Amino acid sequence: MNIPVSLSFFARGRFTAVMLLLHLMAVALVIHIIVRCFISLRKGRRIQNAVIFLTDSAGGAKIPVLYWENSIGREKTCDIILPDPSVSRDHAVLKRRERGWIIADTASRGGTFVNGRKIDAETLLRPGDRIGIGTLELVLTPRDEPASPEQKRRVYSGKRTFMTVLETTAVFFILTLEACLKGNALSFKPFLPFVLLSALVFGVYFYSVGLLKRVSFEIENIGLLLTGTGVLLLYGVDPHTAYIQLAAAALGVLLFCLIIWILELPDFVSKLRIGFEILGVMLFAVTFVFGTVVNGAKNWIFIGPISVQPSELVKVVFIFAGASTLDRLQTHQNLIEFIAFAAVCTGFLFLMHDFGSAVIFFFTFLLIAFMRSGSIRTVILAVAAAAIGIFLILQFKPYVALRFAGWGHVWEYPYDSLGYQQTRTLTYIASGGLFGSGLGNGYLKNIFAGDSDLVFGVLCEELGIIFAFALCSVFVLLALYTLSDVTRSRSTIYSISSCAAAGLLLFQTMVNIFGVTDLLPLTGVTLPFISAGGSSMVCVWGLLAFIKASDERTYGARRRKSI
Amino acid sequence: MRTVGKRSIFLYLIIFVFCAGMVFLAARVFLNGSSWASMPFNAHLYDDHDEQRRGSICDRNGTLLYSDEKGFADSSREALLHLLGDREGNISTGVFSLYSAELSGYNPLTGNAREGNLFKTKTRLTVSSQACERAYELLGDRSGAVFIYNYRTGEVLCSVSSPSFDPDHVPEDIETNSSFEGAYLDKTISETFTPGSIFKIITAACAIENLPNWKSWKTECIGETEIGDGCVTCLEHHGEIGIREGLMYSCNVVFSELAVELGGEKLAKTAEELGFNRSFLFENAHTAKSAFDVSNAKADELGWAGVGQYSNRVSPYHMAVLMGSIASGGETAQPYYVERISAAAELPLYTAEKRSAPLRIRETTAAELRTMLRQNVTDYYGEYLFPGLDAGAKTGTAEVGQDKDDTAWMVGFLESPETPYAFAVVVEEGGSGYRAAGSIASELLGILSEE
Ligand SMILES: [Zn+2]
Repeated sequence: MNIPVSLSFFARGRFTAVMLLLHLMAVALVIHIIVRCFISLRKGRRIQNAVIFLTDSAGGAKIPVLYWENSIGREKTCDIILPDPSVSRDHAVLKRRERGWIIADTASRGGTFVNGRKIDAETLLRPGDRIGIGTLELVLTPRDEPASPEQKRRVYSGKRTFMTVLETTAVFFILTLEACLKGNALSFKPFLPFVLLSALVFGVYFYSVGLLKRVSFEIENIGLLLTGTGVLLLYGVDPHTAYIQLAAAALGVLLFCLIIWILELPDFVSKLRIGFEILGVMLFAVTFVFGTVVNGAKNWIFIGPISVQPSELVKVVFIFAGASTLDRLQTHQNLIEFIAFAAVCTGFLFLMHDFGSAVIFFFTFLLIAFMRSGSIRTVILAVAAAAIGIFLILQFKPYVALRFAGWGHVWEYPYDSLGYQQTRTLTYIASGGLFGSGLGNGYLKNIFAGDSDLVFGVLCEELGIIFAFALCSVFVLLALYTLSDVTRSRSTIYSISSCAAAGLLLFQTMVNIFGVTDLLPLTGVTLPFISAGGSSMVCVWGLLAFIKASDERTYGARRRKSI
Repeated sequence: MRTVGKRSIFLYLIIFVFCAGMVFLAARVFLNGSSWASMPFNAHLYDDHDEQRRGSICDRNGTLLYSDEKGFADSSREALLHLLGDREGNISTGVFSLYSAELSGYNPLTGNAREGNLFKTKTRLTVSSQACERAYELLGDRSGAVFIYNYRTGEVLCSVSSPSFDPDHVPEDIETNSSFEGAYLDKTISETFTPGSIFKIITAACAIENLPNWKSWKTECIGETEIGDGCVTCLEHHGEIGIREGLMYSCNVVFSELAVELGGEKLAKTAEELGFNRSFLFENAHTAKSAFDVSNAKADELGWAGVGQYSNRVSPYHMAVLMGSIASGGETAQPYYVERISAAAELPLYTAEKRSAPLRIRETTAAELRTMLRQNVTDYYGEYLFPGLDAGAKTGTAEVGQDKDDTAWMVGFLESPETPYAFAVVVEEGGSGYRAAGSIASELLGILSEE
C-alpha cells in the first residue's frame, strides 16, 4: 500500500465528499431517532377506555370512568355528568391512586356519602361500595372482562429501545470524528468527551430500563440526544465549556430522577406548593441582593469558582407551584396565590433586567393559569398588567428600549451592537447551508456569546440547517405529545405541569431562535440543551422530568405490584 | 380532567407560531442566503491566507482572467480590473464583490462553509478580453469608458473604464495623483458625463412623440438663435433645416428651438421614460442616475438642455441600453456579463437570468430614430467607419467648461443580424466626438465582428 497516495487522497476533494456522506448519515440517524421516539411515545399512551364503571343503582345504567381523576357534577364541564337538580355543579372528585379508588367531596351543597355515611375527608373505595351524590346512588363496579388484545397497548420492545440508544451514540461518534478532523488536522482528544457522554447515556439507560425496569426510555433518549449534540458542539468551541456542560448534564439527570421520584405522589406534591413558592421567592431575593450583573442582566450568583443562574432553577419551582390535582382545583378555584407568586417572579426578573426570562415566566404563567381556571378574563387582565409594566419600564428607563432598537432591520447596523450578533448569525446560517461546515469548522463561535445566545447559529453553521431544524422540532413534538397525553396522565397535576414544561421549553426555544435571527428582539435567553450554561442545562432536565412523569408508564412498573 | 385537557389549547397557538416562524426563517435563508453569505465579515469567503476564495474566472473565449493560484492574467489585469474587482475590495461593482458568495462556492443547499477542492468554482464571463484590452489601449492615458453589448441576448462584450491600475501593484499615489482620479470607479456604470449632442436623440424622440408635423418642421439656422435673454450658438450656418438633417448635422438651433417649443415638462417626461433620473440594476450593482432637470431652467437654459448641455448628465451604460432599445425596436435584453458560476462536476451555482431591460421606447419612435441614426452613418459619418455592419450612430462633443477640452462621445448600434451590438464610447477631454470616440468604436466593433 502506497502511503503518500492515500494521504493525498485524504487531502483532496474526495475526503470532503467522504466527510459529507458521514455527516448525511448522522442527519439521517438524528431524524430516525426523533421519529422513532415520538412514534413510540404516541403508541405507548394509555388507551382511553373505561378503567372502571359507576352503576346507577336505581336505573342500572353503567357510567364509564375514563380518567385517573374525574370530576362528578351537574355541570357540562364535568367528566361524569349527573344531570340531577340535587347534584351540585361540581360535586366530588373520583380519583385513582396507588391505594385504589378514592372519592373526595369538592365543597358540594348536599355532601357526598359512602355506604350511607357522609364523608368529610378523602375516602378509599372498594368495589361494590355505594356512593351517594344528591339523591343518586352509584355503585363502584370493576370492569368485568379484560381489554381485547387490539385495545391493548403496543407490546414493549426492549430491543428497539436499545437500538435507538445505539443510534444515538452513533450520531455522537460521527460528530466526534468530525471534531477529531477539525480543520483537517488529526487529534484524538475529542474521544474523551465521547467516552464520558456514552457513559452518561448508558448509565441513564441501565438505571432506568435495567434497574427501575421502566418500559419507556423515549424522553430520556431525546434529552440525551440534544445534550450530547450540544456538548460535542461546545467541544468544538472550547473543550473546557464542554466538560462543564457535561457535568451539568449529569447533575440535570440527577434532578430529573429526583423530580420523577417527588412527583410519584400527586397529593403530596400538592401539599408542598407553599414550600416551593417560598423557595422560588427566596432564590430571587438572594440573587437580587447578592447577584452580579453579567451582560446587563443581574442574574448571576458567584460562589467561589461556581456561578449559578437562580432564575433558571426557579423555572422548575414555578411549575411545581403551578400544578395542582383535580380536587384541589375544584375546591381552591381562585388563582390569587399563584398570580401573586408569578407577579413576584416576573417583577424580580424585570428589576434584574433579564427581560427574556421575564417573558418566558409570563408565558408559562398564562399557560398554567388558563389550564387551572379556564378564565379568559384572567389571561386578558394579566396581559394588560404586563403591558402596563412594559410601558412603565419604557417610561422610566428609556435606555432599555435602545437595546432593542435594531429589531427588524439589523442589516442597517451590521457593525454596531444593535445588529452585530444577528447579522453574523444570519450570515453563518446561510454559509452553513443544509449540511453545515462539519463540527468545529465554523466561525460564528468566535463572535461574542457564540456558545450561548447564538448557539442556534453555530448549530446551523456547523451541522447544517436540517440537523438544527430536526433538533428544534423535538420541542414541537414534545408539546404535541403532552397535548395528546393531557387527559391520559395520572392526575391533572401531570397534565398541567407537563404542558407547562413543554410550553416553556418551546417558548424559550422560540425566543432564542427568533431573537438571534431577527424575527423577535434579541433578549439573550439560552437554547435549551444546546447553549453553554450549567444552570440552564440542569433546569431543562428538570423540566423534562415533568413530561416524563405525565407518561403513565413511568410509574407503571411499581403500580403493577400493588393492585 | 377533560376540561383541564381542553384548556391546554393555548399551547397549540405557540406551536403554530413557532412552526410558522421556522418556515419563514427557512424561506428567508433560502432567498437571502446569497447576499447574507457574501457579507465581507463572513470568514468562509476567505482561505487560510485571508485571500478571498474566487476559484477561476475566464472570458467568453475561455481565456483565463484570474485564478486563486495564478492571480490576475498579465495582459488583461488593467483592462478588466473594473469588471473583476481589486483584492482590497475598493471596487465594489466587480464580480469579486457582487458575487463573492458564489465565487466561494455558495449555493442555497450546501452553503459555502465546507472547504476543499470539491467546492472550487469556475466562472465564465461574456466579455471578450481581447476587445477589452484593445479598448483600454485605445483610451490610453485619457479617462473614459467603453461599453458594448449584444442587444438581443444581453451579453456584454466589452466594458472598460479608464483610468485603471495594476491590482497587484497598486500605485502608491493612487489617492493623490490626479491622473488616477476615479480609478476605483467603473465609469461605464458609476459615473455620468455631460452628453452634448447625443442628447439630441432624446429631444428628437420627444418631438416625434409630441409634434404631429415633426417631419415637415423646419427652422432657419444662422449660426445662432436668440432664446429668452440668451443665445444658443451653432457651429455652422445650416440655413433652412428640419429635424432629420438637424440630427445628422447636429444643429444646435434645431434642437434648442425644439426644446423650447416642446417645453420643459414634455421634454422631462420623455427623458424619464427613456431612463433619466433613475438607477438601473446592472448585475447586482446600482448604476449612477442619468440626470435631466429643467424645472428651474430659464428659456435659454432649456434651449441648451435640448442640445445636451445645461445640467444634463448621462452614464455610458444608460446610453448603450438606450441604443439597444432603439435598435431592437423598443425593448432590449438586460445586459449582463457573468454567464455562469459553477462548482466541481459542473454543479451550477449561478446562471445568468435572461430578461428584458427595464427601459422601453415606443415602437414607432424607435423605428424613426433607428432610420435617422442609420442615415447619420450612411449619409454623413461614412460607412467606412463600420464596413458591412449596418451601423447607426450619433456623435457628441460636450462642452464641460473649466478650461477642459470637450468630452467626446459616440453612441450607436449595429443592425447586422450577426452582430446585434449596441455601444457607447466616451472619452474625457477627447475633443471631437467623431475623431476621438468614433475611431475607438470603429476599431472595437471591427474586432468584435471578426470574433
Ligand atoms: Zn445649425
